[in-house]
Amino acid sequence: MKNWSKILIVVIIFGCIGAWVGYTFMYNKAHTNFEKAEADFSLTARQLFEEFRNDAETAGVKFNGKVIELSGRPTKVEETDSLVIAVFAFEEGMFGAEGVRVSMLPNHAETLKKHPLTLAIKLKGFCPGYNGTDVIIESGSVVK
Amino acid sequence: MKTTLNLLIAILLLSSSAMAQKFITKNGNISFFSSTPMEDIEAHNNQVNSALDVETGDFVFKVLIKSFKFEKALMQEHFNENYMESDKFPNATFQGKVANLSDVDFTKNGTYNAQIKGQLTIHGVTQDIEETGTFTVSKDGIAGNSKFNVKVADYNIDIPKTVINNIAESIEVTVDVDLKPLK
Repeated sequence: MKNWSKILIVVIIFGCIGAWVGYTFMYNKAHTNFEKAEADFSLTARQLFEEFRNDAETAGVKFNGKVIELSGRPTKVEETDSLVIAVFAFEEGMFGAEGVRVSMLPNHAETLKKHPLTLAIKLKGFCPGYNGTDVIIESGSVVK
Repeated sequence: MKTTLNLLIAILLLSSSAMAQKFITKNGNISFFSSTPMEDIEAHNNQVNSALDVETGDFVFKVLIKSFKFEKALMQEHFNENYMESDKFPNATFQGKVANLSDVDFTKNGTYNAQIKGQLTIHGVTQDIEETGTFTVSKDGIAGNSKFNVKVADYNIDIPKTVINNIAESIEVTVDVDLKPLK
């Protein structure tokens, strides 16, 4: 009986340690590295925009939360205090130019800024969705 | 709701008079902060669409829920999947007006106190809100700032009992938008 008690105490202690380690690991798990993530879809910026433009709900189910690789010729590169954004504009609408906006990872911002706008580029990033005017891609990286 | 908002934005931005009276941004900032004795949680979103018509006082913003960034990946996951159900309700929106438009001179540089009234939609639930904020007018445009509280229960956001002590009943929301004239 005494041995059973000792075994039980050891099991409880190891169980608690295991639960704590598991919780700590899960709690502190890293954000997805979208630079290294495999793309779920590969298409042109225009195709992506038109899918949302034609049927935002269906496109949302298909693309939201996914890693997208998209190609095209950026219309311009926008800079804010914290972001560098590749803009692929296809229409003029209520908020000015509408299309696909790719906010870049800091380590890819300079590469984008140096890219000539006359040439096509391939970018990859996470798609949180469509805000009614633009398809948003975040954590963008230059593929080539 | 979405159609109404788009219609409002369309009317707001494409209506009759000079385009210079419309100010917009696609890179506005919204953050929220939850504080409890257990932990503090904050998240930031810096891709907020916002538009202001200085003639009529119409003011709108729209934000993608999945664009909120948390320090912890697990929190971000729970926020999207369990609390905000962002696949089902991908956007939050505000559409309203500057209620004290006569007190704000958008043609003259300075900082003005503003009362904002309108409908805030989060998690598919729309509530009337009335908050205060400031507009700072400068040669660069109009900076709008507001800080207010949102009760999670008002928007049918269910917090599981296991984490109920980790998330505040009332969340502090901060809005910062640098609006530029629509060209």
